[in-house]
Amino acid sequence: MDFRLYSTGGRNAAIALGGLLLAASCFAQTIKLGMVNSLTGPHSSFDLPASEGVLMAVDEINKRGGVTVKGKKYPLSVVSEDAQSKPEFAVSGAQRLLRDDDIKVVFGILTSGPGMAAATALGKAEVLYFGGFTLMDTLLGKPGAELMLRTLNNDATVAKSFVPTSVTELGVKKIGVMLPNEDVSRSIVAIYKPLLEASGVQVTMVEYFQPDTQDFAPVLRKFQNQGLDGMLTGTNDALVEAILRQATELGGLPRKFMYRGGSGAPALKNAKGVDGFTWQILTRDLDNASDAKVKGWIDAYKAFTKKDVSPNTYWALTFYDTVFMMAKAMEEVGSTTDVKAIAAKVKEMKYDGVRTMRFDKDGRAQSDIDIGMLKAGKVSSVRASAM
Amino acid sequence: MDLIQTLLDGLMVGGLYATVAIGITLVFGIMGILNFAHGQMLMLGAYTAFFVVTAGLGFWPALLIAMIAMGALGLLLERIVFRFTLTDHMQGLTASLGLIMVIENLAAAAFTPDHRTFEPPLPGSFQLGPLTLSSQRMLVLALVVVLVVACYLFLQKTRIGKAIRAMGQNRTGAALVGIQTSQVTAVVFVLGSAMAGAAGVLYGSLFAITPYMAAAPLMKGFILTVLGGLGSVPGAVLAGFLLGVAESLGSRYLSASFRDGYGFILMIIALLYFPRGLFGARGKVRV
Repeated sequence: MDFRLYSTGGRNAAIALGGLLLAASCFAQTIKLGMVNSLTGPHSSFDLPASEGVLMAVDEINKRGGVTVKGKKYPLSVVSEDAQSKPEFAVSGAQRLLRDDDIKVVFGILTSGPGMAAATALGKAEVLYFGGFTLMDTLLGKPGAELMLRTLNNDATVAKSFVPTSVTELGVKKIGVMLPNEDVSRSIVAIYKPLLEASGVQVTMVEYFQPDTQDFAPVLRKFQNQGLDGMLTGTNDALVEAILRQATELGGLPRKFMYRGGSGAPALKNAKGVDGFTWQILTRDLDNASDAKVKGWIDAYKAFTKKDVSPNTYWALTFYDTVFMMAKAMEEVGSTTDVKAIAAKVKEMKYDGVRTMRFDKDGRAQSDIDIGMLKAGKVSSVRASAM
Repeated sequence: MDLIQTLLDGLMVGGLYATVAIGITLVFGIMGILNFAHGQMLMLGAYTAFFVVTAGLGFWPALLIAMIAMGALGLLLERIVFRFTLTDHMQGLTASLGLIMVIENLAAAAFTPDHRTFEPPLPGSFQLGPLTLSSQRMLVLALVVVLVVACYLFLQKTRIGKAIRAMGQNRTGAALVGIQTSQVTAVVFVLGSAMAGAAGVLYGSLFAITPYMAAAPLMKGFILTVLGGLGSVPGAVLAGFLLGVAESLGSRYLSASFRDGYGFILMIIALLYFPRGLFGARGKVRV
């Protein structure tokens, strides 16, 4: 037996095998992203598009080769959990994600009920969490929340541009406020009332109604014949559409509305009874897009999802640019797992994506928004900057 | 004027509650089962109306179709589920809870959670002297009164209505005198479900339609069933109007964020003076 032949062959085989394993390891490693969203239930109208935005961004990043860190390419993959619009399922979904040690970054949830529950679970772990819900603002800037970032502007930031623009466009001087009896409503009043008064508007009435109210007639009658020329209301399309519809039926009520919420749909369905309506598009106005980036994104969305845009599609931009920011931060930091460094890098960045995104030191987004308007039957929007 | 308008609002909403409660109290009266799935008939009735109206057929055919469809569904559920639970009321209650899950989730999957609305037959408002009244609300109030009166006349003046009342008093006794209890039970389910379907159409003409809309009217329906006296249709109707007025007046002149509380306060006070409900029968009732 010629052992030299065998040893040479064995060495070559070992080298080949080692090369294969090395090549395999380069492609086998993916960056696993977690996503917990309400894919079913009443909140899915917000979260389903948001999840589509994450998946779109991941798909685009993978098509260009993935995230390049220290010369290695890492494709992204997404593990998705359904919060079912309920806090208990949001928590269990977050916990399932946390059980996977490979998941260091989690995206998701636009509504405060399930969102607070999930954030509480995620906040106890060393994961970078990008959320979108309103009450997340109460968590940011506190010890233990260094790895949390909210990708939508908070009320205070939005209101600074929304209120003066709305007052100017609608020409209101005396308004009433009508909101559901929830924590977020009280913070809305605390933020908006001073801004309205600073804009020369009298806020003469603030009324809270039970959140599951369907018959608004008794509370609307409080606003009848009070000399009001406008109302501030919220906080979701179904509520506001019902309020507008019933307000136009009852008569004797203002016909101009400022909507602390994200869609013109309530006004469009009741256009005959409304003289003016403004709303907050926290990402981009997709219905009246003149911006080339927005138009390009719309085409990409249609190609990816095989669906047309709907009134809620703009929520898909909630996390879309942030996924690219996360990827860029990983590349610049040189790590896919050092979440503290990645979070710090994201907070330093100004990113010109479909939205122009920036985060402050506490993880609060400071992005420009669009303000939608319905006046004299015509729909339009203006861009408002928070920076 | 404001008081009159608020009272009319309350009567309208109370009438809707009463229309739902009639079905619940009828079923309980003759079968002893609290049918939690009754609210789903309201939800499906509303969706039926939505699809019929948006298909261009109009409100009145939608009302008729919804009542027939829900009546048929009620009959189906009675035949395949509830008739097997007559000897065990907990079984019937449990089955109804399961039906809520199934129907609600099927509706959410089929129709999506997005809220729907359809154009009411009488949009806008009209002047009646110094009063500005919503046209559709007044139509709903009128239709609720028609439905309740029709139901009352059916129970009082028809042979089958008498059989229903007899079974409500004593099921065994009714069977002994030759009443076909199985057929009467089926009629009760058809009648109650049709009423709930009609209530759904009327709800849908005013408020948003979602797969989850049944919970609130169902809860009110159960309150009215207790408040009116278990098994008492007149009691459920009177309680319905009282509840609607209490909620409307409380929301208008006190706090709108405590709306449901006014109904519960009313129920507590009423039950203190009428422990078996406004028109409740004497004797023990097992739930």
